[in-house]
This record gives sequence, C-alpha cells and structure tokens, in this order.
Amino acid sequence: MKKAIDFLTGLSAAIWSCFVCALFSVYLAFLGAERAAAFMSAPLMLIAVAVLAAVVCGSGLRALKRGRFSSAALHLGCACVMAGWLWGQQAARTATPGEPANGSMALIDGDVTDALWDGPALTNFVGRVPFTIKLEKFIIEHYEQNSVDRDAGRMAPIREYRSRVTVSEPGKTPYVANIMVNRPLRVRGYNIYQMSWGNSVDRFRQPVVYTVLQFIRDPGVPLVYAGFALLSAGVLLFTIGVFRSGKPEAGEGRA
Amino acid sequence: MTLKLTVQGGLIYLTTVLFLATAVAGGLGHRNLRRGFWAAAFVAATASVVWRGLHTGHPPMQNLFEFFLCMAAALWPLSQWSRRKNNIDTVTRDALLGVVILFPAGFIFSEEVRRLPPALQSPLFIPHVASYVAGYVMMARAALIALPLLRREGDAGVLRTADLAARQTAATGFMLLTSGLLLGAIWGKICWGHYWHFDPKEMWSLATWLVYGGYFHYRLKHGIRSRRVAAALLWVGLLFVILTLTWINLSKLFTGLHNYA
Repeated sequence: MKKAIDFLTGLSAAIWSCFVCALFSVYLAFLGAERAAAFMSAPLMLIAVAVLAAVVCGSGLRALKRGRFSSAALHLGCACVMAGWLWGQQAARTATPGEPANGSMALIDGDVTDALWDGPALTNFVGRVPFTIKLEKFIIEHYEQNSVDRDAGRMAPIREYRSRVTVSEPGKTPYVANIMVNRPLRVRGYNIYQMSWGNSVDRFRQPVVYTVLQFIRDPGVPLVYAGFALLSAGVLLFTIGVFRSGKPEAGEGRA
Repeated sequence: MTLKLTVQGGLIYLTTVLFLATAVAGGLGHRNLRRGFWAAAFVAATASVVWRGLHTGHPPMQNLFEFFLCMAAALWPLSQWSRRKNNIDTVTRDALLGVVILFPAGFIFSEEVRRLPPALQSPLFIPHVASYVAGYVMMARAALIALPLLRREGDAGVLRTADLAARQTAATGFMLLTSGLLLGAIWGKICWGHYWHFDPKEMWSLATWLVYGGYFHYRLKHGIRSRRVAAALLWVGLLFVILTLTWINLSKLFTGLHNYA
C-alpha cells in the first residue's frame, strides 16, 4: 500500500499524468466547449477527477513533509481547484426547484419574477430563487458616432448593456441595482449575469426588447479561488527556487 | 494580410529589417555589425512603441497589436539579461524571434483604435493578455536557448549553462502562463459566469501548461543526463504555444468564446 502511494505521488507518475492530461485536454478541445463540459460531468469523469485530486494532494503533502514548500503549494493548489470544481458539479447535480444552481430569465421592462428557466428557448422550468427581480429598464448604449461610422452610414458599436432591476429579498427593503456585462450582481449566494438580449413582441403585438439574466450558484468557487492563491504562491516560490539553484555552489563542476 | 502605409507601419517594417540584418550579420560572423544592428533595432522598436503611445494618447498596452510592439522592444533587455545572468549569447536567436513577433503586428493586426465591446471592458483584460504574450515570448526564448542541448555531444560547461538558462527562462514563462490562466479563469467567472468553460482555447492553454509541467517534472527526475529529451520537451511546449496561437485564432475548426481574440 505504502509502495503504491509512493509510486503514485512520485515523479514518474507525475510526468506521465502531465502528458496524458495534456493529450486529454487536446481531445476535449476537439469536442468543443458544450460537448466537453457534458463529457466531463459524467459520473466516471467526476470519479477520475476526484482520484487525480487525491493523488495530487498526496504529492503536495509529501512535498510539505520534506519541506519543499513551492512544490507543496503548487500541488495542494491544484488539488483545491479540482476539489472546488467537483463541489460545484455536485451542487449542480443535487439542485432542486427550491434551490436551483443554474438558470436564466428573460424579462421585458416592468416584468417581476423569481422563476428560472433552461433550454435553448428558455422553456424548461428549473426552479425559483428566494427573492424576486423586477426589471425597471433594459438599456443598450452605443459609442458616439465617429466620422468612420458616419461615412459608412452605420451606428457606432455597442458600449454597454445594462439591466436596471429592483431586488426584493424577504425581510429587506427592496433596492435598485444595475447588472452589466463584467459587472454581475450578487444576491443570496447567486451571481446574476447580463447574459443576452433580443427582440420580440408583447401581447399587444408591439415590438419589445428583452434582456436575459443568468443566475448561477456555485458553492465551490471560494475553494477554487483558494487553490488559485496557493498555485500563484507556489509558482512564484518555484521560479525563485529555480533562480537560486543557478548560484555557483558545491555541485558545480560535478558531472 | 495588409501592408501598413503609415508612420507606425514604417517603424515596424524598419525594426523588422533591422532584426533581419542582425540575424544575417550574426550568421556571417560580423560581431560588431551585429551589435550595431541589434542596438538600432532596439531603438526603432522603442520608437514604434512611443509613437503608438503618442498617437493614441494612452499607454500602448490595450490590445494585441500594441502588446506585440512592446514585446519586440523587450527583446534587447531580455538578451542583455541572458548575457549578464547566464553568460550566454542569444542575440541572433532573439533577433529572429523579433522578426516572428513583428510579423503579425506588421501584416495581420489592425492598427485602428478599436472601441471595445462590453465583454472586453474589464480591468483584467490587459493583465490576462499581457501575461500570455510575455509568457509565450519567454517560452520561445527557452526553446531557442535549449537548442545546443539537442546536440549529441558538447562541452559540459556550455551544456550546463544552456540547461540552467533554459530552465530559468522556462520557469519565468511558466509563472506568466500560470498567471494568465488564473486571471483568465477569474475574468471568465466575472464575465461569462463560470471560471472554466471547456472552451477549446482554454483546453489548449491548459494542455500547454501541462506540457511545461511535464518538462519540469522530467528535468527534476532525470537531471542533466537526459538533457536532450528535456530540451525536446521545451520544443513540444513551443509547438503547443504555436498551435494555441495560430490554429485556434485563424481556423474555423474550433468555435468558442475566444473567437474575437
């Protein structure tokens, strides 16, 4: 048993797993984002990632025991990232309509809802979030037209998509917030993203513009970010270590 | 593929020609001529960065075009660094690398000042892209520095120096690739909702990172004895870098979130 653990957390296994994982990543690149994500959420792949995380964690602990802190931080960081990802996957698998993990809502100005939907046309009901969203106004802003735009007779490119919403959480006074691309809103463990928009008609056959907000709850993110911090510290220490190893020392000149 | 008939374009082409002249003088063994061309190329590269900054009125670090200009100007200090720190001569190789770096800036990227779409308006844009561009340049240098290691035989001192310099350069590049990857993941979480999308470019970048991870593990296990395999691994890594940069960006084979890049 000890021999097996020593082998798995050893350098030979590390070399092979690096190259095998690299080839596997290339394979997933050929699948495309959607199919790759679906492939990786299969139970067998989750188990494989869990095993890999355990082995990498073992390497980290082994390095820690030997006082190799850069290696320890790097490997424990990788293990944290994988564990955090698995946690997020688990949350998505065990999500219920009372506590959904991922879904979207399409809103026109004035709509009030707490229901999340799924699917290409947002027709599958996913669940309800524990607060309501009212879309006050969806705003699309363009850059100012410049001479090139005027000559081409076109509008300037879009500068900003903004959904101004009123959030009503139980036990709190409703408040107004803006949701923009690159500026998600965080409410009760959900990140709310400005995801998309489109043109449609309302019930009076009048043209309207709708906005699509995506809601994501991922409890694994703090662990993933902790892993990122460890990885950064590890790679910095590692690089410093490589530069230190270059100093002329007793080993110099030995074959 | 367009020719830039502007002052900016002129400066880029002048720098490219000076880089080529440096490499040719190096190949022919004219050391003084090479040093002169190399210094002139640095001045021209710096001038094209400064011109860009004055012309646009912002620090020239906002898009890929500007980053490639900066990287070309960074080559001279980098080669000085290799000379001081590792006592190796990388001028001819760096000059050739400069030609490769300036090619997209001269012929592919547009110099038009673009107004950024909402998805790219983020303080993480520049650190993410800058880390990757600088990381890729370091990895290209690491592979070039490792060239003598591929030979079957050689002076032990020279080999040891080249091995160490390649490892130090690759470690710096690895740090930059890691920071690019992590910053990209954090940005992905803020912009697209998730830190990992299994987007083809993400997967290729991860594969590249893993290949270099494999290199460091391999070098650690086998030491200088297996220097040829280790050096070959640096070239495999560079192959992955080139594939990530060209194949993903130029072909329509992989469609994904990074299509605008």
